[in-house]
Amino acid sequence: MTEYIATFYSHYGAVCFKKNCEKLGIGTKIMPVPRNLSSSCGTCVRFWMEQKLSEVSLELNEELEQIVQVDGGSYLEIYRSEE
Amino acid sequence: MKNEKKAIVAAGLVIGVISALLVFFGNPVNMGFCIACFLRDTAGALGFHSAPVVQYIRPEIIGLVLGACIMAMVSGEFKARGGSAPVTRFILAVFAMIGCLMFLGCPFRMILRLAGGDGNAIFGFVGFALGIFAGVFFLKRGYTLKRSYKMPALEGQLFPVLQIVFLILLVAAPAFIHFSTEGPGSLHASVWIALAAGLIVGGLAQKTRLCMVGGIRDAVLFREWKLLMGFVAIFASALAMNLILGAVTGTPFFNPGFAGQPVAHTDGLWNALGMFLAGFGCVLLGGCPLRQLVLSGEGNTDSAVTVIGLMVGAAVAHNFGLASSGEGPTSNGKIAVIIGIVVVTVIAFMNSRKKSD
Repeated sequence: MTEYIATFYSHYGAVCFKKNCEKLGIGTKIMPVPRNLSSSCGTCVRFWMEQKLSEVSLELNEELEQIVQVDGGSYLEIYRSEE
Repeated sequence: MKNEKKAIVAAGLVIGVISALLVFFGNPVNMGFCIACFLRDTAGALGFHSAPVVQYIRPEIIGLVLGACIMAMVSGEFKARGGSAPVTRFILAVFAMIGCLMFLGCPFRMILRLAGGDGNAIFGFVGFALGIFAGVFFLKRGYTLKRSYKMPALEGQLFPVLQIVFLILLVAAPAFIHFSTEGPGSLHASVWIALAAGLIVGGLAQKTRLCMVGGIRDAVLFREWKLLMGFVAIFASALAMNLILGAVTGTPFFNPGFAGQPVAHTDGLWNALGMFLAGFGCVLLGGCPLRQLVLSGEGNTDSAVTVIGLMVGAAVAHNFGLASSGEGPTSNGKIAVIIGIVVVTVIAFMNSRKKSD
């Protein structure tokens, strides 16, 4: 099981992403962004799945900022939106 | 996670001590820090309003922005961003300030007033919490001001540089800068003590993301108490310091009661409604006035626009007779707060995705 965190530009983006994950049967938790990941105080979605991210048809909405893979105490950037 | 919690509480304890000490060094009572009051004083010093008792370029504000800026640059977190509904943010900020000046303080001062024994702040706190609940209601209905975008570095650096210009104006004191000779604006710690206090608190607030609005919002949305614990720590340490300073100096720094509190009035309903407007507006802005200063120091130009909106709101509040005084709220102020609650509600509704559901 691989753990990921998705961060967003708005709370609404996080809620939409969470709903999309739940439709695909992916386990999620919505929470504040961890401080060691970002200095922003927004909302993130922590999610877990067996498959690789590329194998899942996750909807990457316009409010999505980045997705990182949680690797112990560090984060590996998987996706970042265009600035 | 535990380290994050410890860091927030430790920062809160330090900030509470600094806040109490600023009063000892000359700031108005229960006003070691007040972002709303200090932005209002700075606006007055620049001549944006002509209330003679509240005109002084507050070094604490300069220090907060620069402290956050330095900390963000050192940790590689300075990022120039913007473009997320700046005009809407400006208007929300104007009304958030009008709410704060109905109550006579920002959320930060609300905590310091409680730590000084000012019971009127209890009404403010209740209204503030209800305002945050109102904002969270719209967040759950899909409220968003849309994303921000990367900006040229210079765009993010301008607001911190502006603070340096303010510092030069304060120290040089040219004739066109106003200085109160009586009232709250005339009461202040020395420039360098106030600046140092601002730098330390700005750095700590950047590192810990301290935010009064975020604290209650996260507690309601996620049952996450970390941020709120920071402000509990500020309250506890400011209260302890007030008691210690009172015992050491023989001058009471903790005066429990309602009547005769410094820079405060006893109208509970309007204390609550003022902070309801401030809390509601600040949730929609994404943070309390302190957090907006810190974000502006990190290069967030939307927050810089918000701070400018807060200053304009302060000028409007004094020019139009909306700000309360120790005598109580004004009729104009009451009308403005009601208009503000309506405007903020309309903004919240119009920017909620589920409004047509």
